[in-house]
Amino acid sequence: MTKLNRNFKFLRNPGHVPLPWERGWGEAFKYKSLFKNISLITLITLISFIPPIKKKTSIWMIGDSTMCLYDSSRFPLTGWGMPFAEYFDSTVTVENKAKGGRSTRTFIAENRWQPIVDNLSNGDYVLIQFGHNDESESYPDRYTPPEDYRKNLVKFIIESRDKKAIPVLLTPVSRRKFDSAGNALETHAVYSKVVHEVADQYKVSLIDLDQMSIALLQEYGPENSKLLFMQLEPGENPDYPLGIHDNTHFNAHGARHVAELVLEGMKNLHLALADRIIKGKFKSK
Amino acid sequence: MITNTDKGWRKKGLAIVLLLMSFALPQKNKITVYLIGDSTMADKEVIAYPETGWGMPFHYFFDSTVTVDNRAKNGRSTRSFIAEDRWQPVVDNLREGDYVLIQFGHNDEVPTKKTYTTLGNFTANLEKFVNESRSKKAIPVLITPVARRKFDSTGKIEETHAAYTQLVKDVAVKLHVPLIDLDKESQELVQQFGPETSKYLYNYLAPGENPHYPEGRSDDTHFSELGARKMAEIVLHDIKNLHLELADHIRVVKQKEKK
Repeated sequence: MTKLNRNFKFLRNPGHVPLPWERGWGEAFKYKSLFKNISLITLITLISFIPPIKKKTSIWMIGDSTMCLYDSSRFPLTGWGMPFAEYFDSTVTVENKAKGGRSTRTFIAENRWQPIVDNLSNGDYVLIQFGHNDESESYPDRYTPPEDYRKNLVKFIIESRDKKAIPVLLTPVSRRKFDSAGNALETHAVYSKVVHEVADQYKVSLIDLDQMSIALLQEYGPENSKLLFMQLEPGENPDYPLGIHDNTHFNAHGARHVAELVLEGMKNLHLALADRIIKGKFKSK
Repeated sequence: MITNTDKGWRKKGLAIVLLLMSFALPQKNKITVYLIGDSTMADKEVIAYPETGWGMPFHYFFDSTVTVDNRAKNGRSTRSFIAEDRWQPVVDNLREGDYVLIQFGHNDEVPTKKTYTTLGNFTANLEKFVNESRSKKAIPVLITPVARRKFDSTGKIEETHAAYTQLVKDVAVKLHVPLIDLDKESQELVQQFGPETSKYLYNYLAPGENPHYPEGRSDDTHFSELGARKMAEIVLHDIKNLHLELADHIRVVKQKEKK
Protein backbone atom coordinates (compact mmCIF):
# COMPACT_ATOMS: atom_id res chain seq x y z
CA MET A 1 0.00 0.00 0.00
CA THR A 2 2.77 2.38 0.98
CA LYS A 3 4.71 1.43 -2.09
CA LEU A 4 1.77 2.13 -4.29
CA ASN A 5 1.19 5.58 -2.79
CA ARG A 6 4.78 6.59 -3.35
CA ASN A 7 4.87 5.44 -6.94
CA PHE A 8 1.61 7.05 -7.92
CA LYS A 9 1.83 10.22 -5.81
CA PHE A 10 1.79 12.62 -8.78
CA LEU A 11 -1.12 10.81 -10.39
CA ARG A 12 -3.22 11.21 -7.25
CA ASN A 13 -2.50 14.98 -7.15
CA PRO A 14 -2.44 16.06 -10.77
CA GLY A 15 -2.08 19.80 -9.89
CA HIS A 16 1.04 19.23 -7.76
CA VAL A 17 4.27 20.80 -9.07
CA PRO A 18 7.19 18.62 -7.99
CA LEU A 19 9.44 20.33 -5.41
CA PRO A 20 13.23 20.28 -5.98
CA TRP A 21 13.80 17.32 -3.66
CA GLU A 22 11.03 15.41 -5.40
CA ARG A 23 12.86 15.67 -8.75
CA GLY A 24 15.82 13.66 -9.89
CA TRP A 25 19.46 14.65 -9.19
CA GLY A 26 19.76 16.40 -12.53
CA GLU A 27 17.11 18.91 -11.52
CA ALA A 28 18.75 19.55 -8.10
CA PHE A 29 22.06 20.50 -9.69
CA LYS A 30 20.40 23.41 -11.46
CA TYR A 31 19.75 24.99 -8.08
CA LYS A 32 23.17 24.14 -6.62
CA SER A 33 25.11 26.89 -8.42
CA LEU A 34 22.54 29.45 -7.30
CA PHE A 35 22.86 28.34 -3.64
CA LYS A 36 26.61 28.37 -4.02
CA ASN A 37 26.64 32.02 -5.08
CA ILE A 38 24.29 33.13 -2.34
CA SER A 39 26.25 31.33 0.38
CA LEU A 40 29.53 32.76 -0.89
CA ILE A 41 28.21 36.32 -0.77
CA THR A 42 26.78 35.73 2.71
CA LEU A 43 30.08 34.31 3.91
CA ILE A 44 32.10 37.27 2.59
CA THR A 45 29.67 39.72 4.17
CA LEU A 46 29.92 37.93 7.54
CA ILE A 47 33.70 37.76 7.44
CA SER A 48 33.92 41.50 6.87
CA PHE A 49 32.26 42.00 10.27
CA ILE A 50 34.66 39.73 12.20
CA PRO A 51 37.54 41.64 13.83
CA PRO A 52 40.98 40.42 12.76
CA ILE A 53 41.98 37.48 14.92
CA LYS A 54 45.23 38.05 16.81
CA LYS A 55 47.64 35.19 16.54
CA LYS A 56 48.49 33.51 19.83
CA THR A 57 51.88 34.61 21.11
CA SER A 58 54.08 33.33 23.89
CA ILE A 59 56.41 35.44 26.00
CA TRP A 60 59.34 33.36 27.20
CA MET A 61 61.01 34.80 30.28
CA ILE A 62 64.57 33.81 31.04
CA GLY A 63 66.40 35.15 34.05
CA ASP A 64 67.06 34.78 37.75
CA SER A 65 65.38 34.89 41.17
CA THR A 66 64.18 38.48 40.74
CA MET A 67 61.99 37.34 37.83
CA CYS A 68 61.02 33.74 38.61
CA LEU A 69 57.91 32.04 39.96
CA TYR A 70 57.72 31.15 43.67
CA ASP A 71 55.69 28.62 45.57
CA SER A 72 53.15 30.11 48.00
CA SER A 73 55.12 28.58 50.88
CA ARG A 74 57.64 31.39 50.38
CA PHE A 75 55.07 34.19 50.27
CA PRO A 76 55.40 37.19 50.24
CA LEU A 77 58.50 36.47 48.13
CA THR A 78 57.49 37.30 44.55
CA GLY A 79 59.37 37.41 41.26
CA TRP A 80 58.34 40.27 39.00
CA GLY A 81 57.39 37.77 36.30
CA MET A 82 54.45 36.67 38.47
CA PRO A 83 52.40 39.90 38.44
CA PHE A 84 53.71 40.65 34.92
CA ALA A 85 51.66 37.74 33.57
CA GLU A 86 48.42 39.30 34.82
CA TYR A 87 48.43 42.23 32.41
CA PHE A 88 47.99 40.64 28.96
CA ASP A 89 44.91 39.73 26.96
CA SER A 90 43.97 36.11 26.27
CA THR A 91 46.10 35.90 23.08
CA VAL A 92 49.28 35.97 25.16
CA THR A 93 50.78 33.11 27.15
CA VAL A 94 53.57 33.96 29.56
CA GLU A 95 56.10 31.15 29.99
CA ASN A 96 58.21 32.13 32.98
CA LYS A 97 61.32 29.93 32.80
CA ALA A 98 63.48 32.11 35.05
CA LYS A 99 65.20 30.25 37.89
CA GLY A 100 66.67 31.43 41.17
CA GLY A 101 70.47 31.51 41.41
CA ARG A 102 71.08 31.18 37.67
CA SER A 103 73.56 33.15 35.62
CA THR A 104 73.56 33.12 31.80
CA ARG A 105 76.26 30.45 32.03
CA THR A 106 74.48 28.06 34.40
CA PHE A 107 71.13 28.64 32.69
CA ILE A 108 72.64 27.33 29.45
CA ALA A 109 74.78 24.63 31.12
CA GLU A 110 71.76 23.14 32.90
CA ASN A 111 70.02 22.82 29.56
CA ARG A 112 67.35 25.36 30.41
CA TRP A 113 67.79 27.36 27.19
CA GLN A 114 67.73 24.70 24.47
CA PRO A 115 64.20 23.44 25.33
CA ILE A 116 62.96 27.03 24.96
CA VAL A 117 64.62 27.38 21.55
CA ASP A 118 62.98 24.12 20.51
CA ASN A 119 59.57 25.51 21.43
CA LEU A 120 59.90 29.03 20.00
CA SER A 121 57.36 30.01 17.37
CA ASN A 122 57.40 32.78 14.81
CA GLY A 123 56.45 36.03 16.58
CA ASP A 124 57.12 34.82 20.13
CA TYR A 125 59.02 37.09 22.50
CA VAL A 126 62.03 36.24 24.64
CA LEU A 127 62.60 38.52 27.65
CA ILE A 128 66.17 38.22 28.85
CA GLN A 129 67.18 39.49 32.29
CA PHE A 130 70.36 38.20 33.87
CA GLY A 131 73.24 39.77 35.76
CA HIS A 132 72.71 39.29 39.52
CA ASN A 133 74.43 35.92 39.55
CA ASP A 134 76.74 36.46 36.59
CA GLU A 135 78.41 39.33 38.45
CA SER A 136 78.74 37.59 41.82
CA GLU A 137 82.43 36.80 42.00
CA SER A 138 81.97 35.38 45.50
CA TYR A 139 79.89 32.52 44.04
CA PRO A 140 82.28 30.74 41.63
CA ASP A 141 79.54 28.28 40.73
CA ARG A 142 77.48 31.14 39.29
CA TYR A 143 80.03 33.75 38.29
CA THR A 144 80.31 34.56 34.59
CA PRO A 145 82.99 37.03 33.46
CA PRO A 146 81.67 40.03 31.45
CA GLU A 147 82.99 38.65 28.16
CA ASP A 148 81.21 35.33 28.62
CA TYR A 149 78.09 37.17 29.77
CA ARG A 150 78.19 39.10 26.48
CA LYS A 151 78.61 35.90 24.42
CA ASN A 152 75.72 34.24 26.20
CA LEU A 153 73.42 37.21 25.62
CA VAL A 154 74.38 37.15 21.94
CA LYS A 155 73.60 33.42 21.83
CA PHE A 156 70.11 34.06 23.25
CA ILE A 157 69.53 36.76 20.63
CA ILE A 158 70.78 34.87 17.57
CA GLU A 159 69.04 31.64 18.46
CA SER A 160 65.78 33.48 19.17
CA ARG A 161 65.98 35.24 15.82
CA ASP A 162 66.77 31.96 14.04
CA LYS A 163 63.30 30.83 15.14
CA LYS A 164 61.82 34.20 14.08
CA ALA A 165 61.17 35.11 17.70
CA ILE A 166 61.76 38.62 19.05
CA PRO A 167 64.40 38.97 21.78
CA VAL A 168 64.10 41.83 24.29
CA LEU A 169 67.07 42.63 26.52
CA LEU A 170 66.60 43.95 30.05
CA THR A 171 69.30 45.39 32.23
CA PRO A 172 69.24 43.69 35.66
CA VAL A 173 66.71 45.17 38.10
CA SER A 174 68.43 47.22 40.80
CA ARG A 175 69.31 46.15 44.29
CA ARG A 176 68.30 48.47 47.15
CA LYS A 177 71.39 50.51 47.94
CA PHE A 178 71.56 54.15 49.04
CA ASP A 179 74.45 56.41 49.91
CA SER A 180 74.43 58.39 53.15
CA ALA A 181 72.86 61.36 51.35
CA GLY A 182 69.87 59.21 50.36
CA ASN A 183 70.80 58.72 46.69
CA ALA A 184 69.88 55.36 45.16
CA LEU A 185 73.07 53.81 43.81
CA GLU A 186 73.87 51.82 40.68
CA THR A 187 74.46 48.18 41.71
CA HIS A 188 75.11 46.51 38.33
CA ALA A 189 77.36 49.06 36.57
CA VAL A 190 79.56 46.67 34.58
CA TYR A 191 76.94 44.10 33.59
CA SER A 192 74.24 46.65 32.73
CA LYS A 193 76.74 48.30 30.39
CA VAL A 194 77.32 44.99 28.62
CA VAL A 195 73.57 44.62 28.06
CA HIS A 196 73.48 48.12 26.54
CA GLU A 197 76.39 47.33 24.22
CA VAL A 198 74.90 44.07 23.02
CA ALA A 199 71.55 45.77 22.41
CA ASP A 200 73.26 48.47 20.32
CA GLN A 201 75.41 46.06 18.35
CA TYR A 202 72.63 43.63 17.50
CA LYS A 203 69.81 46.20 17.30
CA VAL A 204 67.81 44.50 20.03
CA SER A 205 64.93 46.19 21.86
CA LEU A 206 66.22 47.22 25.28
CA ILE A 207 64.36 47.93 28.50
CA ASP A 208 66.70 49.69 30.91
CA LEU A 209 65.13 48.12 33.98
CA ASP A 210 68.22 48.91 36.05
CA GLN A 211 67.77 52.69 35.59
CA MET A 212 63.96 52.53 35.80
CA SER A 213 64.10 50.63 39.09
CA ILE A 214 66.77 52.96 40.50
CA ALA A 215 64.32 55.82 39.80
CA LEU A 216 61.57 53.84 41.56
CA LEU A 217 63.80 53.29 44.60
CA GLN A 218 64.69 56.98 44.64
CA GLU A 219 61.00 57.89 44.56
CA TYR A 220 60.36 55.63 47.59
CA GLY A 221 63.50 56.81 49.37
CA PRO A 222 65.92 54.98 51.68
CA GLU A 223 63.37 53.97 54.30
CA ASN A 224 60.16 53.38 52.34
CA SER A 225 61.93 51.43 49.62
CA LYS A 226 62.13 48.58 52.15
CA LEU A 227 58.39 48.19 51.50
CA LEU A 228 59.26 46.87 48.04
CA PHE A 229 61.65 44.16 49.22
CA MET A 230 61.62 41.07 51.41
CA GLN A 231 61.91 42.98 54.65
CA LEU A 232 60.04 41.36 57.53
CA GLU A 233 60.41 41.71 61.27
CA PRO A 234 60.96 38.54 63.35
CA GLY A 235 57.58 36.97 64.06
CA GLU A 236 55.76 39.18 61.58
CA ASN A 237 55.19 36.47 59.01
CA PRO A 238 55.00 32.72 59.71
CA ASP A 239 57.05 31.90 56.61
CA TYR A 240 60.01 33.90 57.99
CA PRO A 241 59.94 33.45 61.77
CA LEU A 242 63.43 34.93 62.17
CA GLY A 243 62.57 37.95 60.05
CA ILE A 244 64.42 38.85 56.89
CA HIS A 245 66.28 41.89 55.55
CA ASP A 246 66.82 41.28 51.87
CA ASN A 247 67.70 44.10 49.47
CA THR A 248 67.60 41.99 46.31
CA HIS A 249 64.34 40.03 46.31
CA PHE A 250 60.93 41.63 46.05
CA ASN A 251 57.74 41.17 47.98
CA ALA A 252 54.40 41.15 46.15
CA HIS A 253 54.23 44.94 46.22
CA GLY A 254 57.73 45.48 44.82
CA ALA A 255 57.35 42.76 42.18
CA ARG A 256 54.20 44.44 40.88
CA HIS A 257 55.94 47.82 40.67
CA VAL A 258 58.81 46.28 38.71
CA ALA A 259 56.33 44.51 36.41
CA GLU A 260 54.68 47.89 35.80
CA LEU A 261 58.06 49.32 34.77
CA VAL A 262 58.62 46.51 32.26
CA LEU A 263 55.12 46.99 30.80
CA GLU A 264 55.85 50.71 30.51
CA GLY A 265 59.16 49.88 28.80
CA MET A 266 57.30 47.71 26.24
CA LYS A 267 54.88 50.52 25.48
CA ASN A 268 57.73 53.01 25.08
CA LEU A 269 59.45 50.66 22.61
CA HIS A 270 56.20 50.41 20.61
CA LEU A 271 56.53 46.65 20.53
CA ALA A 272 53.57 44.98 18.78
CA LEU A 273 53.18 43.07 22.03
CA ALA A 274 52.20 46.30 23.76
CA ASP A 275 48.87 46.20 21.88
CA ARG A 276 48.04 43.06 23.82
CA ILE A 277 48.46 44.66 27.23
CA ILE A 278 45.08 44.88 28.92
CA LYS A 279 43.25 48.18 28.69
CA GLY A 280 41.39 48.29 31.99
CA LYS A 281 38.12 50.10 32.46
CA PHE A 282 38.38 51.11 36.10
CA LYS A 283 37.88 54.81 36.75
CA SER A 284 40.11 56.86 38.99
CA LYS A 285 38.22 56.87 42.26
CA MET B 1 52.54 -25.29 64.87
CA ILE B 2 53.99 -22.27 66.62
CA THR B 3 57.59 -22.54 67.51
CA ASN B 4 59.37 -20.57 70.18
CA THR B 5 61.20 -18.63 67.49
CA ASP B 6 57.86 -17.49 66.00
CA LYS B 7 56.65 -16.34 69.41
CA GLY B 8 59.85 -14.38 69.86
CA TRP B 9 59.38 -12.57 66.55
CA ARG B 10 55.76 -11.84 67.36
CA LYS B 11 56.79 -10.14 70.58
CA LYS B 12 59.47 -8.22 68.78
CA GLY B 13 56.98 -7.23 66.05
CA LEU B 14 54.53 -5.97 68.64
CA ALA B 15 57.27 -3.98 70.35
CA ILE B 16 58.31 -2.41 67.04
CA VAL B 17 54.72 -1.44 66.18
CA LEU B 18 54.25 0.15 69.63
CA LEU B 19 57.53 1.97 69.27
CA LEU B 20 56.56 3.34 65.86
CA MET B 21 53.15 4.41 67.15
CA SER B 22 54.77 6.43 69.90
CA PHE B 23 56.51 8.47 67.21
CA ALA B 24 53.36 9.13 65.18
CA LEU B 25 52.16 12.70 65.64
CA PRO B 26 48.71 13.21 67.08
CA GLN B 27 46.38 13.39 64.08
CA LYS B 28 45.10 16.89 63.38
CA ASN B 29 41.58 17.09 62.01
CA LYS B 30 40.94 18.96 58.79
CA ILE B 31 39.22 22.24 59.44
CA THR B 32 37.75 24.92 57.26
CA VAL B 33 38.01 28.62 58.02
CA TYR B 34 35.14 30.49 56.40
CA LEU B 35 35.62 34.19 55.79
CA ILE B 36 32.43 36.22 55.52
CA GLY B 37 32.59 39.92 54.86
CA ASP B 38 32.98 42.66 52.28
CA SER B 39 35.42 43.89 49.62
CA THR B 40 38.21 44.62 52.10
CA MET B 41 38.37 40.87 52.76
CA ALA B 42 37.27 39.38 49.42
CA ASP B 43 39.21 37.54 46.73
CA LYS B 44 39.58 39.75 43.66
CA GLU B 45 39.39 39.03 39.96
CA VAL B 46 42.70 39.45 38.11
CA ILE B 47 41.23 42.43 36.22
CA ALA B 48 41.03 44.34 39.54
CA TYR B 49 44.66 43.69 40.59
CA PRO B 50 46.56 45.11 42.39
CA GLU B 51 43.47 45.69 44.57
CA THR B 52 43.75 42.92 47.14
CA GLY B 53 41.42 41.73 49.88
CA TRP B 54 43.14 40.69 53.11
CA GLY B 55 41.56 37.25 52.80
CA MET B 56 43.87 36.57 49.83
CA PRO B 57 47.26 36.57 51.62
CA PHE B 58 45.51 35.10 54.68
CA HIS B 59 45.30 31.82 52.69
CA TYR B 60 49.06 31.38 52.81
CA PHE B 61 49.57 31.21 56.56
CA PHE B 62 48.21 27.79 57.46
CA ASP B 63 49.36 24.20 57.26
CA SER B 64 47.71 21.57 55.10
CA THR B 65 45.05 20.75 57.72
CA VAL B 66 43.35 24.09 57.08
CA THR B 67 41.26 25.15 54.12
CA VAL B 68 40.47 28.84 53.93
CA ASP B 69 37.15 29.34 52.17
CA ASN B 70 36.82 33.03 51.43
CA ARG B 71 33.11 33.79 50.91
CA ALA B 72 33.50 37.55 51.37
CA LYS B 73 32.05 39.56 48.51
CA ASN B 74 32.52 43.10 47.25
CA GLY B 75 29.80 45.56 48.29
CA ARG B 76 28.00 43.33 50.77
CA SER B 77 26.57 44.29 54.16
CA THR B 78 25.36 41.77 56.75
CA ARG B 79 21.87 42.35 55.40
CA SER B 80 22.59 41.86 51.69
CA PHE B 81 24.92 38.93 52.44
CA ILE B 82 22.04 37.12 54.12
CA ALA B 83 19.39 38.30 51.63
CA GLU B 84 21.42 36.99 48.67
CA ASP B 85 21.53 33.60 50.32
CA ARG B 86 25.28 33.72 50.87
CA TRP B 87 25.09 32.80 54.55
CA GLN B 88 22.83 29.72 54.53
CA PRO B 89 25.21 27.71 52.28
CA VAL B 90 28.00 28.40 54.79
CA VAL B 91 25.83 27.14 57.66
CA ASP B 92 24.93 24.05 55.64
CA ASN B 93 28.61 23.24 55.14
CA LEU B 94 29.83 23.96 58.67
CA ARG B 95 31.29 21.08 60.62
CA GLU B 96 32.36 20.81 64.23
CA GLY B 97 35.62 22.70 64.81
CA ASP B 98 35.34 24.90 61.72
CA TYR B 99 35.83 28.65 62.09
CA VAL B 100 33.76 31.55 60.84
CA LEU B 101 35.59 34.87 60.64
CA ILE B 102 33.05 37.69 60.44
CA GLN B 103 33.99 41.17 59.25
CA PHE B 104 31.27 43.56 58.07
CA GLY B 105 30.50 47.23 58.51
CA HIS B 106 31.77 49.17 55.48
CA ASN B 107 28.54 48.69 53.55
CA ASP B 108 26.20 48.41 56.54
CA GLU B 109 27.05 51.86 57.91
CA VAL B 110 26.46 54.08 54.87
CA PRO B 111 22.83 55.31 54.85
CA THR B 112 23.00 56.26 51.15
CA LYS B 113 23.97 52.74 50.08
CA LYS B 114 21.36 50.17 49.07
CA THR B 115 23.06 47.78 51.46
CA TYR B 116 22.49 50.05 54.46
CA THR B 117 21.71 48.13 57.61
CA THR B 118 20.31 49.87 60.68
CA LEU B 119 22.23 49.61 63.94
CA GLY B 120 19.62 47.24 65.35
CA ASN B 121 19.64 44.99 62.31
CA PHE B 122 23.45 44.94 62.18
CA THR B 123 23.51 43.61 65.75
CA ALA B 124 20.78 41.09 65.00
CA ASN B 125 22.62 39.84 61.89
CA LEU B 126 25.92 39.43 63.75
CA GLU B 127 24.10 37.49 66.47
CA LYS B 128 22.54 35.31 63.77
CA PHE B 129 26.01 34.50 62.35
CA VAL B 130 27.31 33.68 65.84
CA ASN B 131 24.36 31.59 66.98
CA GLU B 132 23.97 29.62 63.78
CA SER B 133 27.73 28.92 63.66
CA ARG B 134 27.55 27.62 67.21
CA SER B 135 24.51 25.49 66.45
CA LYS B 136 26.81 23.58 64.07
CA LYS B 137 29.57 23.47 66.75
CA ALA B 138 31.69 25.84 64.66
CA ILE B 139 33.67 28.69 66.26
CA PRO B 140 32.68 32.23 65.29
CA VAL B 141 35.24 35.05 65.53
CA LEU B 142 34.09 38.66 65.29
CA ILE B 143 36.30 41.22 63.58
CA THR B 144 35.73 44.98 63.72
CA PRO B 145 35.77 46.63 60.26
CA VAL B 146 39.28 47.38 58.99
CA ALA B 147 40.24 51.06 58.90
CA ARG B 148 39.86 53.47 56.03
CA ARG B 149 42.72 55.84 55.28
CA LYS B 150 41.48 59.12 56.70
CA PHE B 151 43.67 61.66 58.46
CA ASP B 152 42.78 64.97 60.08
CA SER B 153 44.74 68.13 59.24
CA THR B 154 47.28 67.40 61.98
CA GLY B 155 48.13 64.00 60.48
CA LYS B 156 46.16 61.98 62.99
CA ILE B 157 44.13 59.03 61.74
CA GLU B 158 40.37 59.33 62.15
CA GLU B 159 37.95 56.62 63.24
CA THR B 160 35.58 55.92 60.34
CA HIS B 161 33.46 53.10 61.75
CA ALA B 162 32.75 54.34 65.29
CA ALA B 163 29.14 53.20 65.69
CA TYR B 164 29.41 49.86 63.88
CA THR B 165 32.72 48.91 65.47
CA GLN B 166 31.13 49.43 68.87
CA LEU B 167 28.25 47.13 67.92
CA VAL B 168 30.68 44.36 66.97
CA LYS B 169 32.35 44.71 70.36
CA ASP B 170 28.99 44.69 72.15
CA VAL B 171 27.95 41.46 70.45
CA ALA B 172 31.34 39.91 71.28
CA VAL B 173 30.89 40.76 74.97
CA LYS B 174 27.24 39.72 75.13
CA LEU B 175 27.72 36.35 73.44
CA HIS B 176 31.32 35.72 74.63
CA VAL B 177 32.74 35.61 71.12
CA PRO B 178 36.48 35.93 70.44
CA LEU B 179 37.06 39.45 69.09
CA ILE B 180 39.74 40.81 66.78
CA ASP B 181 39.72 44.61 66.99
CA LEU B 182 41.01 45.07 63.46
CA ASP B 183 39.61 48.60 63.27
CA LYS B 184 41.83 49.77 66.13
CA GLU B 185 44.90 47.78 65.14
CA SER B 186 44.77 48.75 61.48
CA GLN B 187 44.37 52.40 62.49
CA GLU B 188 47.54 52.04 64.53
CA LEU B 189 49.34 50.60 61.52
CA VAL B 190 48.08 53.32 59.18
CA GLN B 191 49.08 55.94 61.77
CA GLN B 192 52.53 54.44 62.00
CA PHE B 193 52.88 54.70 58.21
CA GLY B 194 51.61 58.30 58.31
CA PRO B 195 49.52 60.33 55.84
CA GLU B 196 51.82 59.94 52.81
CA THR B 197 53.40 56.52 53.23
CA SER B 198 50.08 54.91 54.14
CA LYS B 199 49.05 55.35 50.49
CA TYR B 200 51.27 52.34 49.74
CA LEU B 201 48.95 50.22 51.86
CA TYR B 202 45.92 51.17 49.77
CA ASN B 203 45.18 50.95 46.07
CA TYR B 204 46.92 54.15 45.02
CA LEU B 205 48.06 54.20 41.40
CA ALA B 206 49.35 57.05 39.26
CA PRO B 207 47.65 57.62 35.87
CA GLY B 208 49.22 55.29 33.31
CA GLU B 209 51.04 53.31 35.98
CA ASN B 210 48.91 50.19 35.86
CA PRO B 211 47.11 48.79 32.78
CA HIS B 212 44.04 47.81 34.82
CA TYR B 213 43.58 51.42 35.98
CA PRO B 214 44.56 53.63 33.04
CA GLU B 215 43.34 56.80 34.77
CA GLY B 216 45.10 55.91 38.00
CA ARG B 217 43.38 55.35 41.33
CA SER B 218 43.21 56.94 44.77
CA ASP B 219 41.32 54.50 46.93
CA ASP B 220 41.27 55.01 50.70
CA THR B 221 39.28 51.84 51.42
CA HIS B 222 40.73 48.98 49.37
CA PHE B 223 44.21 47.60 49.82
CA SER B 224 47.27 47.03 47.70
CA GLU B 225 49.15 43.71 48.04
CA LEU B 226 51.15 45.34 50.80
CA GLY B 227 48.20 46.58 52.84
CA ALA B 228 46.28 43.33 52.43
CA ARG B 229 49.23 41.31 53.68
CA LYS B 230 49.78 43.62 56.66
CA MET B 231 46.09 43.35 57.62
CA ALA B 232 46.21 39.57 57.27
CA GLU B 233 49.27 39.54 59.54
CA ILE B 234 47.35 41.50 62.19
CA VAL B 235 44.47 39.00 62.09
CA LEU B 236 46.94 36.15 62.30
CA HIS B 237 48.68 37.64 65.34
CA ASP B 238 45.37 38.06 67.11
CA ILE B 239 44.44 34.45 66.40
CA LYS B 240 47.63 33.57 68.29
CA ASN B 241 47.02 36.09 71.06
CA LEU B 242 43.47 34.82 71.58
CA HIS B 243 44.91 31.30 71.95
CA LEU B 244 42.41 29.96 69.47
CA GLU B 245 42.99 26.32 68.61
CA LEU B 246 43.36 27.53 65.03
CA ALA B 247 46.73 29.02 66.02
CA ASP B 248 48.08 25.45 66.24
CA HIS B 249 47.44 25.16 62.51
CA ILE B 250 49.55 28.16 61.51
CA ARG B 251 52.31 26.70 59.45
CA VAL B 252 55.67 26.24 61.07
CA VAL B 253 58.59 27.01 58.79
CA LYS B 254 62.17 26.33 59.68
CA GLN B 255 63.86 29.33 58.20
CA LYS B 256 67.40 29.03 56.95
CA GLU B 257 69.70 31.71 58.32
CA LYS B 258 70.62 34.07 55.52
CA LYS B 259 74.22 33.79 54.42
